[in-house]
Amino acid sequence: MTTFVLGISGLYHDAAAVLLADGVVVAAAQEERFTRLKHDASLPVRAVTWCLSQAGIAMGDVDWLVFYEKPLRKFERILSTAVATFPRSWRTFPRQMHAWLGDKLWLRARLVQTFQIDASRVLFSDHHRSHAASAFFASPHPSAAVLVADGVGEWATTSLWRGTAEPPYLEPLGEVRWPHSLGLVYSAITAHLGFAVNEGEYKVMGMASYGRPIYRDRFDKLARFEPDGSFTLDLRYFSWHWHPTRSGTDALTALLGPPRAPGAPFVPGALAGDAPRAWVDESQRHADLAASCQAWLEDALLHVAGAAAAQVGGDALCMAGGVALNAVANHRLAADGPFRHLWVQPAAGDAGGALGAAMWVWHGVLGHPPTSGPFSIDLGPAIARGPTLELLDDLGFPYVTVDDAATERAVDDLVAGRVVGWFEGRAEWGPRALGHRSILADPRGAETADRVNTRIKFREAFRPFAPSVCAESLDAFDLAPAETELARYMLTAAPTTGGLAEDAPAVVHVDGTARLQAVHADDHPAFHALLRTFGDATGLPMLLNTSFNLKGEPPVCTAVDALATFTRSDLDVLYLDGVRVERPPPHLYPPRGAP
Amino acid sequence: MGRLRQAYVWATGSVAWRFPAERRRLLSAFARAEHGSALDMLAAVSTTQRRDLRRKYFRHAMDEWRHAGIFRARAAAQGVGDAADAGREEAGLLLEHGIVGGRTLFERLGEEGFLAFVYVAEADAVEQFDVYRRHRMPDPDTHAALGRILKDETFHVSYSRQELVRMAGPDAAPDRLPAVRSARWSRAKEGWLRLSRDIGTVVGGVWLSLLYAVVVAPFRLVARLEPGGWQAPATDARPALNQARSEA
Repeated sequence: MTTFVLGISGLYHDAAAVLLADGVVVAAAQEERFTRLKHDASLPVRAVTWCLSQAGIAMGDVDWLVFYEKPLRKFERILSTAVATFPRSWRTFPRQMHAWLGDKLWLRARLVQTFQIDASRVLFSDHHRSHAASAFFASPHPSAAVLVADGVGEWATTSLWRGTAEPPYLEPLGEVRWPHSLGLVYSAITAHLGFAVNEGEYKVMGMASYGRPIYRDRFDKLARFEPDGSFTLDLRYFSWHWHPTRSGTDALTALLGPPRAPGAPFVPGALAGDAPRAWVDESQRHADLAASCQAWLEDALLHVAGAAAAQVGGDALCMAGGVALNAVANHRLAADGPFRHLWVQPAAGDAGGALGAAMWVWHGVLGHPPTSGPFSIDLGPAIARGPTLELLDDLGFPYVTVDDAATERAVDDLVAGRVVGWFEGRAEWGPRALGHRSILADPRGAETADRVNTRIKFREAFRPFAPSVCAESLDAFDLAPAETELARYMLTAAPTTGGLAEDAPAVVHVDGTARLQAVHADDHPAFHALLRTFGDATGLPMLLNTSFNLKGEPPVCTAVDALATFTRSDLDVLYLDGVRVERPPPHLYPPRGAP
Repeated sequence: MGRLRQAYVWATGSVAWRFPAERRRLLSAFARAEHGSALDMLAAVSTTQRRDLRRKYFRHAMDEWRHAGIFRARAAAQGVGDAADAGREEAGLLLEHGIVGGRTLFERLGEEGFLAFVYVAEADAVEQFDVYRRHRMPDPDTHAALGRILKDETFHVSYSRQELVRMAGPDAAPDRLPAVRSARWSRAKEGWLRLSRDIGTVVGGVWLSLLYAVVVAPFRLVARLEPGGWQAPATDARPALNQARSEA
């Protein structure tokens, strides 16, 4: 009889549900894909419902439901921090107590009531244990050091683990605790640079490549790195442990200069055009700050990875936690770090906690040995042909069913300079679009990036785009041996070589790097065929690939989402699982484009 | 909308439109409401059994998204406000909308109830925006934007009323339909619950602040933040399953 374990995360950000059947992932999805609220933090009711329907079971068939963290331990941290920071925490305490006493503290009862499951089947993992399990048990390595780094879980902000093929499979070695957090320093700088915390960290990474780390020495004041690989923050610069909305103090502002206002123009030298000189100078200062923060984080991760190598040894490091989504830092770890193999959970943020919690129960609690193998990310919902055609008819979209000819037709469109919405098979697990819910374009024109940023995704002009490349054609990238697995999931930003910046300017960032996806035919056959055919037509088996969504929204999940995004943007054509869809007649819907 | 409510909207608008910070808050709230409404309409496109209504719902969703963008841009143009909020708004993030307990507005109300809700909500919006438009706003661009949005909202009222009449029969008076009455009652109840919740939050905040000052303060003498550096992981001798059952 099959054992079903349902892992869930939520109530902070990135709620998700993952269903294991005898240890095999049969369904995994974030709640945001269903509710359309980016980073949706509610309990993942719709994601759970979908996971169960995907497996053809009811909640009564689920053997264990496991939540990704321990609520009472988290509450202990919040309460004791409020006490320890009295009286500065006077604004935080009422807000947090209101939220916890009213709702979050009674989690077991809420899970039982919401999901209609017997209380004896509800389990709780630890936040960092869930991350560590998602990294190690999903990796191809039978033994590895495991590093988790994020904002904070219950207490831990950075933790080291040893993953082995023998029980207990995952052994905790040490942790740095709240309020000392690498992830929160990066978030504080994210806020300082005018972006939303837990959303704008990618933008800081993108901004960094326009700058030089000339303020790197100032960041040395923020933390002391110990010889044992740990660190201690100077808390005079930070307020996340006592202020409800600000994460940096006036001391941080004094150190780094005035913060950037949200939405302020960003026009450093490379983007300046005829912008006023004051804007250019201020933008360059912000870019240099971002570059300095990025360099500091990379140094910090190398320092901690050194401790992982010293304590665990071996040649493989597995990582998870939000910090592990920093592709630039991952490249630095792979290039300069002590490990020959690096593996990062593709859903390294809190959504991945749902996967790790379920995997921990299967291996760590129920005692099944780990099975190392390739990890597939096509674990989300798919669509059916019949209802899709009905929908297209009802909404008045012109379409033609192309099926096997989809690859050739899409390549024709791409070569003709059209920007294509590509919706194929099951949705991706994790934040990256890897060829299932993607916006694709010919990378050979520099203007393509501008067009996709400003007229299709309506986002900042400085945001970079990633190339997806046939895995057998990676000559244009200077990949360290340790990062080949990262490139499979678009989790590293590697230097480019051989004039790629001239051949494909739309996907090479200003600093000459690219956050590539190495596409393997085994992983994504349809997408690989598309790249190969595009390569046959142009000599470049590579496409600009960005997630199929607009600014502030999660990637599309259903055909309706795809059509709505198509209609609101300047996309030229949409491929909906073998159906080529053109834009609707203008009289049907309002003019496209941002207001 | 009754005269009393119109007077209320006029009075609150008089305050809101005068101060840039209040204008930004109000315009941001409109942007979130329109975005949430777009998601509700899109969910209806997916769920409705009435294939003839799908196109109208879809168009309505597109309108609402456009309005959300206009309001967001106007809010940003006020150039004031809390940096954390502004960062989220600049990113276009929406934190919540009509999904309750994992069910969309359409799933909870059904076709007729949903249409009635749309009719009532849009009619309220038309009257509210019309009152605001008659204010002498210090911000002419926002004034003009409200005028453009008002046209769309009027269309939304019109099509939802037509569909309700079609469902109820040609002699039906839309405002007397049980579904419309129920939608009005439901919105009034929601407003009341929201007010109650806000009052509860304020009162709870006062009590919790008192608790903080009186009960928490003495413990400050012994409480310390965790030091930096590696800490040993907590040891737990219980069997793994027992550990997993515990919330602590």
